[in-house]
Amino acid sequence: MSLVSKHTILEIGNIVFKYSGHMPLIRNLSFSVSEGEFIGLLGPNGSGKSTLLKLAGGILKPSEGRVRLWGKDLQSVPNKDRAKLLCYLPQLLDIGVPFRVKEIVSMGFYPYDILPKMSVDEALDMVGLRDKAESYITHLSGGERRRAFIAMTLLQGAGLLLLDEPLANLDIKYQLEIFRLLRYLRKEKNISIIMALHDINIALQFEKVILMKDGDILCFGSPEDVLTTSLLREAFDVNIEISKQESGEAYISYGHDI
Amino acid sequence: MRKARVVLSLAVLILFSVVSSSIAETPGRIISLAPNLTEILFEMGLGSRIVGVTQFCDYPAEAKKKPKVGGMSNPSPEAVVTLKPDLVLMTTDGNPKEFGERFRKLGVKTYLFRAQRLSELPHEIRKLGMALDAKREADALAGRIENTLKKLRDRKIAKPQKVLFIVWPEPLIVAGPDTAIDDSIKLFGHTNIAAGTGISYPKYSLEEIIRQSPDAIFIGMGHAEIKEISQGLLRKLGNVPAVRNHRVFFLSDNLYRLGPRIIKGIQEMAECLK
Amino acid sequence: MSKVKISILVLSCLCIFFFSLFLTPSVMNPFTLNTLDRDILVSIRLPRLLVAALMGIALGASGAVLQGLLKNPLADPYILGISSGASLSAAMGLVSGIYLFGQFSIPFTAFAGAAVASLMVGAFGWKGGRLLPERLLLAGVGMSFLFYAALMLLISISTHEGMRRAVLWIFGDLSMADWSLIPWGVLFIVAGLGISLSRARALNALMLGDELAHSLGFSVHRERLLLFTSIALMTSASVSLGGTIGFIGLLMPHIVRFMLGSDNRILIPVSALCGGAFLCIADTVGKSVLSPVEIPSGIVTAIIGSPYFLYLLRKKDVLGQ
Repeated sequence: MSLVSKHTILEIGNIVFKYSGHMPLIRNLSFSVSEGEFIGLLGPNGSGKSTLLKLAGGILKPSEGRVRLWGKDLQSVPNKDRAKLLCYLPQLLDIGVPFRVKEIVSMGFYPYDILPKMSVDEALDMVGLRDKAESYITHLSGGERRRAFIAMTLLQGAGLLLLDEPLANLDIKYQLEIFRLLRYLRKEKNISIIMALHDINIALQFEKVILMKDGDILCFGSPEDVLTTSLLREAFDVNIEISKQESGEAYISYGHDI
Repeated sequence: MRKARVVLSLAVLILFSVVSSSIAETPGRIISLAPNLTEILFEMGLGSRIVGVTQFCDYPAEAKKKPKVGGMSNPSPEAVVTLKPDLVLMTTDGNPKEFGERFRKLGVKTYLFRAQRLSELPHEIRKLGMALDAKREADALAGRIENTLKKLRDRKIAKPQKVLFIVWPEPLIVAGPDTAIDDSIKLFGHTNIAAGTGISYPKYSLEEIIRQSPDAIFIGMGHAEIKEISQGLLRKLGNVPAVRNHRVFFLSDNLYRLGPRIIKGIQEMAECLK
Repeated sequence: MSKVKISILVLSCLCIFFFSLFLTPSVMNPFTLNTLDRDILVSIRLPRLLVAALMGIALGASGAVLQGLLKNPLADPYILGISSGASLSAAMGLVSGIYLFGQFSIPFTAFAGAAVASLMVGAFGWKGGRLLPERLLLAGVGMSFLFYAALMLLISISTHEGMRRAVLWIFGDLSMADWSLIPWGVLFIVAGLGISLSRARALNALMLGDELAHSLGFSVHRERLLLFTSIALMTSASVSLGGTIGFIGLLMPHIVRFMLGSDNRILIPVSALCGGAFLCIADTVGKSVLSPVEIPSGIVTAIIGSPYFLYLLRKKDVLGQ
């Protein structure tokens, strides 16, 4: 129990999701996210991370249960209003259309009739892409492309970012760059972020981690509580040791499995 | 002696083959691949020899009862061969050349009718008569056509007129030079305003019609509803003398058939231009 | 910078309009018009120019929208089977002799055919309450083949002299342009253009993918349906005004994309403008080179358009690769 009760912005209550005639992909799952939280969503392939993010973003409708955004039923929030509150970025950002970076970024204004204060240039400055404003998105590297879309979400002004595997297929350098950028944005703009990820080492850096398996939450809490050998074995079916360096920095080792 | 017998038998053989080929020269089973050829054959009294026609052969009425072998541009070789014709009549005006070659390879004899202009018609009919072993009938028909044309040509006209013959109104296709229609217009000394285009059936400029201001406009009967289809065109040409003076004439398809009927067509045209 | 480019475009369009109105196929001095000239100008050249402009606008805009909707830079509005449906219907009208509407018969039957074809393609592209671009494209291609085959069947078995002439109409013919059809053309094309322009942002977002479009606050399936409707309206109206004119729908959006980028808020209106201008040029060429013989505009656009299309095909850059 934290002493300062922060505002709850996303509340997922007993949701089930299944395509008709199939096994449920999400089984009776609940959790909530407070303002400014930075949450890592960890789990093996097929555990339902992407589906959960899409449900939270309103792209999929839950078969049962409900998603509440700032206290309102997500399905009842008009599209444009929802777009000002939350933003979902898919894992694949392979845009075949030769839009310029500034064009992509300025699409963040689309939900608004009156332009918000932040400009395209400011957003590009924050993600460090100012010099690429005129470049075609198709000519950018994977990391740059990811940053361009993050700049778009800044203009969109959403308080909640749902990111599906934003670090996938990136070199370690770009992974760290994106991670640092997200942490910086969360600090600067008090944006809440939920991101799906694969790398347990990076999961250790989050304040909170959700560990998923078979469409349900195995554990939700601080990395120390969630990333334990037994829980990780249950989720990933491998033996992983979590060790601490003398500096207090945690790291993982694979023990006898390698 | 032995040698003499060989020579004799050889001579008999040659004689026999000559005789048999001259017998085969009177073709008894004819296929006509063009409506005007069908009409010429019926006019010469050879209708009973026709064993096949195209789907476009609709005149005279008996022609419709003959077996069909397809269209003018796409007759079915199989249908033609099945009818075992002695001769297939083709025209340079509508039958693709390749079909002649094709039929010859299949062992079917062909005859090519080359008339495309009015002046060529009598001569070509006579040639056709020779090929069909119907010289007398052909001479009679060709003579009849020549006489009528001569009479028409000698007819005095009050004043030469500017004439336009419309084949199809939308899009606007007219009869240009080197066509039997152009010949028919010129026969009386009138001018075809589309004669200078160099194309037989050009897509003509509407604006140019207004500038040329024809005195008479003919519209060919290319469709049962041709009067309806032409309404829009005629409304646009409202200020042209031909339209203003109600000198727009819808002609039957007589002029389209370069055979005995074209004479009737020319007479119809002459009546209108009086 | 792009304001300069846009004003250059508008200015050259005006020049083209003036040129084809007064200078071809024969020169007219706009200040000393005699009655004949005025008659020709008002009842022939002006409606023809307007029809060319309207058709070009409709094709340019609907090409841009369709390429965005299908995320396929090589899509042409005719790929949806709308034009072959219109051609088939018009030809069937000619053969069956339905002349209920007098001189409006061909445009009317063509529009009816186009509308029915759009609905059929839309129905095939529809699954589970949504319009799926891939299905739409395949349905359009399938329907085109079917309609085209039926049309060829009709032509090959028909004994009408007129049928063969009607085939020319399918190649696009503006010579019969008439004031009476222009208000209808304006109505449908302005409606279609209005829808597509008001949905230009949504189209941009859709080109990023359905999930991003949703995240940006658009109702993906509703937007897609509206955009398809705008294409169907504009293409149907253009086909019934003057038949099938190739390559504008394909070509114009590409030239504009080269000059001004992919933003549909600019791409759609400028493609429309350039489409209109290009068809005016093509028609001007078609009616002047062999004057008084006219070359159907559809043939002229294809003769200019095809080499350019092949050039684009060689130059892979246009596909963003």
